[in-house]
Amino acid sequence: MNPISATWNFLSNTYHRLGSPREFYTISRYTTPVFGILFLTLSLIGTYFGLFVAPADYQQGDAFRILFVHVPVAWMSMFVYVVMATAGAIGLIWRIKMAFVVTICSAPIGAAFTALALLTGSIWGKPIWGTYWVWDARLTSELILLFLYFGVIAVYYAFEERKTAEKATALLSVVGVVIVPIIHYSVEWWSSLHQGATVFAEGGPKMPTEMLLPLAFMAVGFMFFYGYALFLSMQNRVLENEHKSRWVREMVISQGKQ
Amino acid sequence: MSNKGARVSNKGARASNKPINTLSLYFQREWQLMFRNTSSLIQPLVFFVIIALLFPFSLPAEGELLQRIGGGVIWVSAVLATMLSLESMFHSDYQDGTLEQMLIHPRSLSLAMLGKALAHWTATGLILTLFSPVLCVTFNIPNEQIWVLFAGLLLGTPSLSLIGAIGAALTVTLRRGGVLIAIVILPLYIPILIFGAGMLTQSAQGLEVASQLYALAAILALSITLAPFAIAGALRVTIN
Repeated sequence: MNPISATWNFLSNTYHRLGSPREFYTISRYTTPVFGILFLTLSLIGTYFGLFVAPADYQQGDAFRILFVHVPVAWMSMFVYVVMATAGAIGLIWRIKMAFVVTICSAPIGAAFTALALLTGSIWGKPIWGTYWVWDARLTSELILLFLYFGVIAVYYAFEERKTAEKATALLSVVGVVIVPIIHYSVEWWSSLHQGATVFAEGGPKMPTEMLLPLAFMAVGFMFFYGYALFLSMQNRVLENEHKSRWVREMVISQGKQ
Repeated sequence: MSNKGARVSNKGARASNKPINTLSLYFQREWQLMFRNTSSLIQPLVFFVIIALLFPFSLPAEGELLQRIGGGVIWVSAVLATMLSLESMFHSDYQDGTLEQMLIHPRSLSLAMLGKALAHWTATGLILTLFSPVLCVTFNIPNEQIWVLFAGLLLGTPSLSLIGAIGAALTVTLRRGGVLIAIVILPLYIPILIFGAGMLTQSAQGLEVASQLYALAAILALSITLAPFAIAGALRVTIN
């Protein structure tokens, strides 16, 4: 067997194993702590370099250092939405139980990232722009994103039957992902004060390496935090969803004996 | 012989299942239902006018201010009036079991829902649009801007009905779906509101409004093509 097809087989095997709640639970008990440790190490390194090593901004002084939290959480707020909607689409098309769990567990985490992005942004805005809030394009579309997350969460808890709730939530998150780019551009053309793209700007990042490096560490670290929080919350929900199945009961009994 | 007869009747069945027939059938059905219950035609319009008239009462009585915000007020009122009429969109069909029959019928459910949503628009959005010039006069909006607002509403309100129907379909089985519809649907309405109301601000400054009209038309094209599938999907999910 050639290496490519072997890798492919391994990947598809892992993917299908993750599709079963029981297998997911077993695998995630090993991976979740790893995600947690990676998050802590990367974000601690990022924080150290961001606060002590990176030079102060020539205009904003030390006030810019909130960037190392603000920018990663803002990225994550959008990334989580895409993950949530992709998982929702997978769940609706291939009827995979675990995909719905990813959608539902991602929503509160994404909402938290969005709220943090808004909060850190307004803390940063006060000294630099002189105001906590402006009806600016980025701020407004981030606020709408927060309300979209709220809508997704509200739909899940409105239904009594879990399977209906899961599918309705998945459908809404897929509809939302079609709308998000439209919202983004409509608000962009409407007004803007927020600075434009800096890291992914044309002709390379407009930022010195001493600032880019801690930002990259923080961004990857927060990605692992998402994985950590998502897997913890998914473990919980899997146990709750499968509480009638045999493996959960056996596991609970065997843990009780220890 | 019998085989041939079967084929003929099969053909007949196929002819009646033509897409346009499904569309017009459901459109006509909605219209008949609405004319037998005229209060559903009048309520959104009355609500629209009352909401718009609340603003002059709650703001300082300056003619110039009202003239400036009038367009935005009319847009917000149209959005709220459409949203309030959404809750009843599938409600009676769900109560008497018609919706389940639609779901199991071999006709295309998406097309049926397109017909239903368009009929909903003619009963809410279209009537509001036709009435909006009268409201514009009460806000002292100049004549050329009345036409801008009219064109914007005409292009924007069908999207409101189509996108709103997704929320209505998602919440049809819930006893108190009204608030949930608002939470789910209002964020999705924001682009339409921005382009629609932005058009008025632009034309007040003497600028071109074509780009906003194109944007509204693009949103309408997207919602006509995609929303029916989402509505049908939502109904299949929520009604077992």
